[in-house]
Amino acid sequence: MRIADTGARARNGLRLPAHASQLGAARDYAWQTAAAFGFDAGACDELAFAVNEAVTNAIRHGAPDEHGQISVTATTNGDRLTLSVRDHGTFLGSPPNRSLLAERGRGFTLMMRLTDAVQLCIGLGSTTVHLSKARA
Amino acid sequence: MGFFYIMDDMENDGLGCGEDVAVLTAGGDIDYGATPQLRERIVEHIAAGKRRLVLDLTKVTFIDSTAIGVLVGALVRLQGVGGGSLVVVCVEDNDKVMRIFEIAGVDNVIAVHRTREEALSALAVAG
Repeated sequence: MRIADTGARARNGLRLPAHASQLGAARDYAWQTAAAFGFDAGACDELAFAVNEAVTNAIRHGAPDEHGQISVTATTNGDRLTLSVRDHGTFLGSPPNRSLLAERGRGFTLMMRLTDAVQLCIGLGSTTVHLSKARA
Repeated sequence: MGFFYIMDDMENDGLGCGEDVAVLTAGGDIDYGATPQLRERIVEHIAAGKRRLVLDLTKVTFIDSTAIGVLVGALVRLQGVGGGSLVVVCVEDNDKVMRIFEIAGVDNVIAVHRTREEALSALAVAG
């Protein structure tokens, strides 16, 4: 189960209700997809954590589709795996809070530290966070 | 749905450190679905007069930024009410917790002890 299967997952992806009870399923999907792509356990943990943060943001600040769902998809490009979290809200962003004593604002900072690249694509009624990591 | 629990450790409660000390044990995944319970338990203890909290995260298998926010918020609140404190217990090889603490820089703000005894001793000295 390597690139071909991961590619199939890119077409199917994971759709899940925009509810906190679904975060475990999002983490499992990210971990299994990363493992199938050939990442070691540590890198799988990092991607699962990053996806968890992006899905949490989508649940807290975004909006689900007409079926009440958000999506997580995987795409590959050479040695790079990208996990994308999409909701149907329009991200109104706030800068990361750099204070160690802040209660909020750590999500994007952590995503950036646990992946190679974070891209935030904002459209009208659509926000997608792309989280990329390359195999060593 | 992820598994999460949090409970009071009556056995260690107080343990010669004073009546304002409480020991809580959490386990499983602390994500956005679990942080309301974490926050609620901490707030209950503060409302009951506890000022020095020990939170044992040794059995935690996942922790996210919302949980870290709750811990930091509790620490700030406790420090604001007469020198209170919140410390964490976690074994060094629990990468799932320690790595995130390190990356988030939380280990510079919240003291992490390897055992409950060590944490309670540190609180006794502080108290």
